Amino acid sequence: MSAPSQSQQATLPGRSLGAGALMGVGVAGFLDETVFHQLLHWHHFYDKSTAAAGLVSDGYFHAGSWVAMVAGLFLYADLQRRAGADRRRVWAGGLVGWGGFQLYDGLVQHKLLGLHQIRYHVHLLPYDVAWDLAGGIALVAGLLLLRERVTRRP
Amino acid sequence: MTGTVPAVLAGVGYAWGVRVLHSRGDRWPWHRTAAAWLAVLGLAAATSPPLATDGGPFALHAAQHLVLASAVPIALVVANPVLLALRTLPLRQRRLLLAVAHSRAARIALSPPVAVTLAVGGTWLYYLTGFYDVAESHPLLHLAVHAHMLLAGCLLTWCVVAPAPLPARTVPVRLLVLVVAAGSHDLLAKLMYAHGLPVGAGTADQLRAGAQLLYYGGDVAELLTAVLVLSGWYAREGRRLAHASRA
Repeated sequence: MSAPSQSQQATLPGRSLGAGALMGVGVAGFLDETVFHQLLHWHHFYDKSTAAAGLVSDGYFHAGSWVAMVAGLFLYADLQRRAGADRRRVWAGGLVGWGGFQLYDGLVQHKLLGLHQIRYHVHLLPYDVAWDLAGGIALVAGLLLLRERVTRRP
Repeated sequence: MTGTVPAVLAGVGYAWGVRVLHSRGDRWPWHRTAAAWLAVLGLAAATSPPLATDGGPFALHAAQHLVLASAVPIALVVANPVLLALRTLPLRQRRLLLAVAHSRAARIALSPPVAVTLAVGGTWLYYLTGFYDVAESHPLLHLAVHAHMLLAGCLLTWCVVAPAPLPARTVPVRLLVLVVAAGSHDLLAKLMYAHGLPVGAGTADQLRAGAQLLYYGGDVAELLTAVLVLSGWYAREGRRLAHASRA
């Protein structure tokens, strides 16, 4: 159980980033499904304007986000066991994964492919802007976090 | 009721195998035995009323489908009766079973494209074409459809989880297979919801309720399968780490 002392210093940057990104995508999918579909009932299971391409994309991304969540958590547990988690990279990955997924969902799925809207019977623009802005900020913050790490290295 | 007798017989055979192992002092994790009884229960329930009621609301049919094609295969893959048989059968039968498990036919049936096509393709054919209506009115065909659901569900689950004695294929490939299969399942449920399919299986509301049950039930099955794949990986990595730290 206890990690050997020589590996104490050696974090696994690639795996940390990967685990974070997977968990980020998973959290985005989870929030979408539980908060917006089930709790708030803002999203609809299906609305008549959804095009076939939107259903296809939604189906595979929905399935992918569950697997990403489980894989990310196990990968992270394995990193902890090896004492190899680079926390900054986990956070960077998480922000990039969550923000990227949120942006894809907001721009491509909801707008381009005409999937169900964020909310119905309201003026949509503020919702769309808030949705995409949140995703964009998370994505940029994640990338900045990643860059800082690289430049700090000699 | 059709499934109850074979399921109970298989359960008794399993229990006998576990007894043989225990009597010679070998270990057999209790969760495998528990999973075996869940599979027996699932198979009996799926082929008895109320799940197997002709002409009942479509949601009942959807629940039956989920139990047969997802829940029972997942319970069976945990129970791993093949491994139990390999440990308890006499040498000749064991050799025969291994030969079947390692045969070309088994390898092809368990390859991702074939397993996914049989499982997902069968379901698509069943619900999106007029096939559902035809099968409902022919008892033998109906039975064959149920057998196909169970067997194809097992193929897919075995392909993704790859329990012993199957070789452990790389985890990313198996997770990709899972996402493709589960995503197709989600898509199918949404198409059924959107277009009121299968035609003639009930009122529009009943069809929508059934399609939603398929969708969310499929999510649960996908989650469980992902946990099985990754907990297997986690345990293997743990053994590797323990081995490396001893060396």
